[in-house]
Amino acid sequence: MQIKNFKTLSSTNQKARELARTGASPWEVILAKEQVSGYGRKGTAWFSPKGGLYFSIILPKSQVEDLQTLTILAAFIVAKTIKDNFPLEPFIKLPNDVWVNNKKIAGILTENIVARTVRFSVMGIGLNTNIDKFPKDLENIATSLKIELGKEVDNEKILKAILKGLKEQLKTISE
Amino acid sequence: MKIKIKDKVYDIEIQETGSKKVKITVNGREFFFGETTEAREKFLAAHAAIPKRNFTKKEIKAPIAGIISKIFIKEGEFVKKDQKLLILSSMKMENEIVSDFEGKVKEILVKENQNIKGGEVLIVLT
Repeated sequence: MQIKNFKTLSSTNQKARELARTGASPWEVILAKEQVSGYGRKGTAWFSPKGGLYFSIILPKSQVEDLQTLTILAAFIVAKTIKDNFPLEPFIKLPNDVWVNNKKIAGILTENIVARTVRFSVMGIGLNTNIDKFPKDLENIATSLKIELGKEVDNEKILKAILKGLKEQLKTISE
Repeated sequence: MKIKIKDKVYDIEIQETGSKKVKITVNGREFFFGETTEAREKFLAAHAAIPKRNFTKKEIKAPIAGIISKIFIKEGEFVKKDQKLLILSSMKMENEIVSDFEGKVKEILVKENQNIKGGEVLIVLT
């Protein structure tokens, strides 16, 4: 699994879409230290300062139904990674958010480009890891691992655990 | 079944077509019994009808159920192959529907914020 690192991106999903359109291989991962215009469903902004974990995965061509299942599974994998590595009780808020202590800590956005069949798909995951503080309008609804744990976490280790989980889950639903 | 009458073989088929109605086919000719002419016409019309399918129609269909969150085109507009037509949000994903064809937008059958079923025709091009 190749990981492409970027210092700053407008959005990892947008970059992943560009790369997928021009023939990037499935499971290529686009990782950014920060996103200038990170977005979630319906174009809502995703607060993406340095410290957080923001990445998108170019998914293998799959049926739309499988991609839908994979998106729910991704929320489960993110929650499981948090639970397995930290003394926290994550909660999956369907369809695609993960909450800790009644605040959002992660979000997942799968985007498919579809004609008669799926042309390509990307899945973006934003996990608030080492974010110290949120803006006023978010502080009551968003949290980070650092805020909850009172210490920094290893972004790379978390990323690898999530990618491993996703790959294993996709095998179970579409191969 | 086949019946031989004076050295001539007749291919006969007897078929019930509904309550108290019988169709007898003799060498391809159909004879109806126990019904009015009107009922026969109805029977013939029903069986002669070929499903109307226009194979040249360029239809854009929904790959999955969801809500139309954004429409990028207008009726009468000319679209290119691969052009972005609309966004279909399902609960878990955003699906950007692109055109499989080149053509003029004849009809947009959906509106923004409309719930649609999987397989539903969204746009017709000519």
